[in-house]
Formats: sequence, C-alpha cells, structure tokens
Amino acid sequence: MYLNSMSLYQPRQSLIHRIDPISKIFYILAAVAVPFILPTVTVAVICLLVSAVILLLAKVFRKVIPLVGFSMVILLSVVVIQGLFMAENKIPLFRLGPLIFYQEGLSFALGLSLRVLNIISAFAILVLTTKPSDLIESLVRKGLSPKIGYVLSSVLQIIPQMTATMGTIMDAQRSRGMETEGKLAVRLKAFFPLIGPVVMNSLINTRERAMALEVRGFNSPVPKTFLNQEFKSAYSKIIQWTLILIIIMALVWRILGWLK
Amino acid sequence: MSKKGMWSLKLTTASLVLIPAAVAINFIGKSFAGVLKLPLWLDAIGTVLASMLAGPIIGALCGAINNIIYGLTMDPISFVYAITSVAIGLAVGIMAYNGWVSSLWKAFFVGIVVALVSAVVSTPINIGFWKGQTGNIWGDALYAILIAHKNPVWLSSFLDEFVVDLPDKIATVMISYGIFKGLPKKLTVLYSNDNKTETL
Amino acid sequence: MAEIKIMVTVDNLKYRYPLTEELALKGVSLEIASGEFIGVIGPNMAGKSTLCQALVGLVPQFYHGAYGGRVIIDGLDAAHIELSKLASKVGIVFQNPFTQVTGAKMTVYDEVAFGLENMGLARTEMIRRIDEALTMLDIYEFRSHNPFDLSGGQMQRMAIASIIAMRPQVIIFDEPTSQLDPQGSEEVFKAVRSLSRQGMTIIMVEHKIEKIAKYADRVLLLHQGRVVDFDRPQKVFSRPDLENYGVTAPVFTNICKGLNITDKTSGLYPVTLDDTYRQLRANNSEFGK
Repeated sequence: MYLNSMSLYQPRQSLIHRIDPISKIFYILAAVAVPFILPTVTVAVICLLVSAVILLLAKVFRKVIPLVGFSMVILLSVVVIQGLFMAENKIPLFRLGPLIFYQEGLSFALGLSLRVLNIISAFAILVLTTKPSDLIESLVRKGLSPKIGYVLSSVLQIIPQMTATMGTIMDAQRSRGMETEGKLAVRLKAFFPLIGPVVMNSLINTRERAMALEVRGFNSPVPKTFLNQEFKSAYSKIIQWTLILIIIMALVWRILGWLK
Repeated sequence: MSKKGMWSLKLTTASLVLIPAAVAINFIGKSFAGVLKLPLWLDAIGTVLASMLAGPIIGALCGAINNIIYGLTMDPISFVYAITSVAIGLAVGIMAYNGWVSSLWKAFFVGIVVALVSAVVSTPINIGFWKGQTGNIWGDALYAILIAHKNPVWLSSFLDEFVVDLPDKIATVMISYGIFKGLPKKLTVLYSNDNKTETL
Repeated sequence: MAEIKIMVTVDNLKYRYPLTEELALKGVSLEIASGEFIGVIGPNMAGKSTLCQALVGLVPQFYHGAYGGRVIIDGLDAAHIELSKLASKVGIVFQNPFTQVTGAKMTVYDEVAFGLENMGLARTEMIRRIDEALTMLDIYEFRSHNPFDLSGGQMQRMAIASIIAMRPQVIIFDEPTSQLDPQGSEEVFKAVRSLSRQGMTIIMVEHKIEKIAKYADRVLLLHQGRVVDFDRPQKVFSRPDLENYGVTAPVFTNICKGLNITDKTSGLYPVTLDDTYRQLRANNSEFGK
C-alpha cells in the first residue's frame, strides 16, 4: 500500500505512533532549541539519549541509520578538515603519517556531529512514526492552506509515478541507439532525450489534472471539511505544554548562568 | 506576464499543479544525472522551469516544497536548505520576467547569477551547520587549502559552495531554457496568472 | 405526461482559445432536456471537447481566450458562476483516467471524498455518498486500494464515482473510453448506461459510433465548430451526406442501406441490431399482408 508513495513511515504498533503529529513537531522544536540555548556536550548527549529512547519505544531505531547516512560524508569531511586545519587549532593530539590532528578541531567536530545527530534523530521520530498524509492533514487543520496541503500530498505520490516512467524512457532511447556511456560530452548529450519526454509528459498532465481538480471544487470558497476524523491523542496538550516548559526552563538556566 | 502578475498571490490551479510536476522533474533530473554519472547535480531543473513558466512566487514555492519533501522522505537536513531553493526560484522568476530568458547567452548569465545567489544564501547556513563545509570533495578540498592558508571561514566557505554551484547552476539554467523554448505556447499560456477573457 | 424540464441551454456560443486565430465554436445553440442521453459526434477539431468544457465552465474560466453567447445549466451561467458551485449541477469525466486522479489521496475511498471535502460536507453525509457512489460503480471492493493500483477501467469508474458523489444532475463524458482496453470500455459503458437509467442527463462524446447508436436519445453532429444536426440517431445516421462530416454511420445502418431495409414512411435506416430486427419484422409482416 505504501509502495506508491514516497515515505519513510514505518507502520508499527507503538505508543509513539499513537501520538499526534503536531506534538512530534513540538518535540523537534525542543530538541533543536535546548542544545542551542545550552551548548554543552552534556546537554547534547542527554537530548540525543532521549531521542534514542523514543525511537526504541517506537521500534524504529535501526531505521535512523540510513537517515544519518546522508550526512555521514560531510561529517567525516568536517572531522578531517577541522581536525587538521581549524584556525583555533593549538594542541596536537595525534599524528597520521604527515598529518597532525589537533584537539580543538576534533572536539569542535564532535560537538558539531552531536548537534547534527540530534536534529536528525528528532526529525526521525516524526518522519518514521507518522504517515505523511496524517501530518499534512494535521497541518491543514492547524491553518496550512488546503491547496499547499494538496501540493505536498500529491508530490509524494507523483514522484513514484513519474520515476516509474523513467526506466521506460531509458529503455526506449537506448533501443533507438542512444549512448549513455563513454565521454562526458556523450553522456551530457544523452541527458536531453531522457529528460525531455518526462517534462513534456508531466506538463501536459498538469493541464488535465488542473481541470479535473477545478471540477471537483478545488477553488471552492466554502471552508473545507475532512473525511477522516482528527488525529488526537489523549495527552497532546500535556506533551506540548511540557515541551514548551522545557524550552523556557533552558532559557531561564542560561540567563541565570549569565547573571552569576 | 504583466507587472501586476509577477507578484500576484492569487495562484491559479494550473500553476499550483505545476509545483508537484516541477518537484518531480527536480528529482528525475537528479536521477538521470546520477545514471549518466554526470559531474553535476542537475536537481533544480523543475524549480527553474517553473519559475520561468509561472513567475517568482510559484518558483519560490517549488523550491520550498522541494526541500520539505526531501526533508520528509530522505534527508532531514535538507529542510534548512529550503531557503536556498526559495532564493533560486525567486531569482529565476524575477529575471525571466525581466526578459533574461530569451537567448542561450542570457540563460548562461542567469546561470551565473543563480550560482551567486545560491552560494550567498547557502554560505551562512553552511557556516552555522558545518563550519562552512559542503561535503563536496572538490569544494571541501578548496576550503581546506584556503583555511590552511589562514583565509577567513566566510570566504573559504563561500568559494567552497560557489565552485560547485557555478557549473551546476549554469548547466541547470541552460538545460531548463532549452526545454522552456521547446514547449508549445498553448501550454505555457496556462501558467500565466493574469489572463482575461475577451467578449466576442 | 410529466412536464419537460430544460437542463442545458446553449445560446449562440462562440469561443476562441488564447493565441489562436480561428474560432473553436462558431455560434452553437441547443437545448437539452432533463434525463436525455445525448451522443456527440464529429471529426477532430469539430469543437466537441470545447463544447464539453464550456458546459462545465472550464471554457472560458480555466482557459480564458475569447467567449461569446451563453451557456445556462439549470439556471446557472456557466461562464460566470464559481466552478465549484457549478460542480454540484454538472460534472465531467475526461479521457485519461490517470490525470483525473488527484494524486493527493492514498485510497480510493479518500479519493472520492476529495470533491466532497472541498464542498464542505459533513462527515456522515460524505460517507453516505461515497458508499453509494462506489457501490453504484461496482468498485466498493477496491475502496482501500491505492488509486494508482487500479486498472484503467477501474480508475475511470473511480473518476465517475468521484463526480457522481457530488450529485450533479448532468454528467458529461468526453471520450471516456478512448484510453481503455475493450474490457475497461465495457465496464465504463455499463456504468454510463445505468446512470442514464436512473434519470441522469448524460452528454457523451464518443468515437465508438455503435455505442452512440445504442444509447443516445439524440445525436449532436458537430463539424468545424458548428452544429450540423441534432436529432434522433436514426435521422442523423440516415443522412446521405454523413461522410462529408468525417463520420461513419453504424455498421447496421450501412448494412441496411445496402440491403435497403428502411422504414417506408420516414425513409430512415435502423441504427442498431434490435432496430434492424424490428424493421425486418415490420417490413416482412407488410409483405405478408
């Protein structure tokens, strides 16, 4: 059922899955804001641990790995380059052949990695345990334009539909003798006959789809109603207020720190 | 597109439906570039095309939604770079309206401007997130050399982003221009948002 | 006898698409009564699709261009009324089932709800209408499938269900089977016919001329943006100059022309198998006298 739609959603039976999407957005805000307000390694580690526990409760912990993977290259690059060349580098830590890694650069890279992992894990809770359609519908109920809601939902389904035609176009152009390997100029030239039909096709489709939407009341001035009942969880308000309170407490802590 | 039309917030259904198509074109452009092992991303053709067709507002929306969708379905960090995509959409939309999408040479120039805009907007984000790095091997190698020679982070970071963006954005805008010129007028007229019905 | 209610009035309709020179419609006038089944025929560029889109207000409201004359659907002026208001009077089903899927809904059930949500209906009313529409189109069993997983015929029936859930009195079908396989086409024709039997006003553009001959109460023959004829199928298909307008008569009409099987009083030819059979019986019993 989810093959047709782009999504990281992992259907599971868990406490976390039963929490509403808006509360999860509040969690992201808190998980990003708190380490920003209190930039210490301890706070970052605590936040990361909390996210890890939530992901374990949701039975989706292992699914975070591919998400982290996207940032792995740049994180490694940061560790190497800042460890070697950061302007503040003073205390050499170890040597790899001719390269000297410094303590300041490496500890900076560690802090940065923690921050990034923290953000990714907080987002992962939302995207791995929430159906995109539920998320978008919740946002529309909270005041997001239904038209933007439509656009977001349809992207998720239209991309897989269009990528399905990608293979067909590749095969068709290859059988007409198009070269897709070899020198850069050859490969660059091959790009046009591949992307051209996809673009034409999709633009022609937009005209027909726009008409089909118009005759189904897409521009209706009447306030929209919903077939599905609102996704509400019992503790939504408590969760949201607790998270706001935590952010305020972090701010207070920081200000007290200044006053001392 | 008339002056009034460029910034009109009254979005037509046709131009709204253009957004999912444009985001999909971004995605497919990137996939084809990967399949052909091109040394370019080519992941903004849809956004650039939508900006040429329907103006800066739709272009900016395309950019934002593109990154939101990437953030939701692949890499959460790409949410932050929505700002860069929005800036690209705005830049192309404004230039297209001012007649800068009318020849291949002009498109080349638009590509340079887009690369500049992209690098200027991305640099603060890169600095905030990655101390100015981009994760691109060539860009980061340049960054490492510049930093090792005691250049300021902002300059090293800007050049790190710009050397990668320049060829990519020039190619993206020129390819988009090529496609744009080939589209039938009957289709492109739909995305203009200030059409009036004449009375016969 | 029940009073005849006029559902559709088209008065001297002229239309030109943007960036084109020639008019797509050059003064079309006609009236359609409630419950009629109208078949629309004619070659390419006759203005069939343009007329269909004018009846639901897409011409001129979606395309703009140049417009003259009037289209009135049950008292509403199609060129000026908000399209979503018009949608509760008249619906349209297009050729391509794929582009009629909104793409924003994960199940067939939710897809049919799309228009109803936009109309602002209460949840219970939506459920009642969707259940009814899915049952009527015989796709209730697919209600929790993803719309894109359906076959062409099923997808097109979902498109029809999405329209009839909005409870229009008139439904327009613009070549609804041209992109379907034979089985899918049959499914759609069956559905159209059953809607017609329930008293809905149907206007169908269709190249499969036998289907028009079989179902239509009246046939509208268009050519180069003008009405050539608008009459009973027997009358339109018996025209000696039919082929001049790029239309081939149904097989049975041509056979009957060849064999000179004709209604002696009107001089018209049969258009379907049943028609032919009836005419043969009538002619034979005349011989028997």
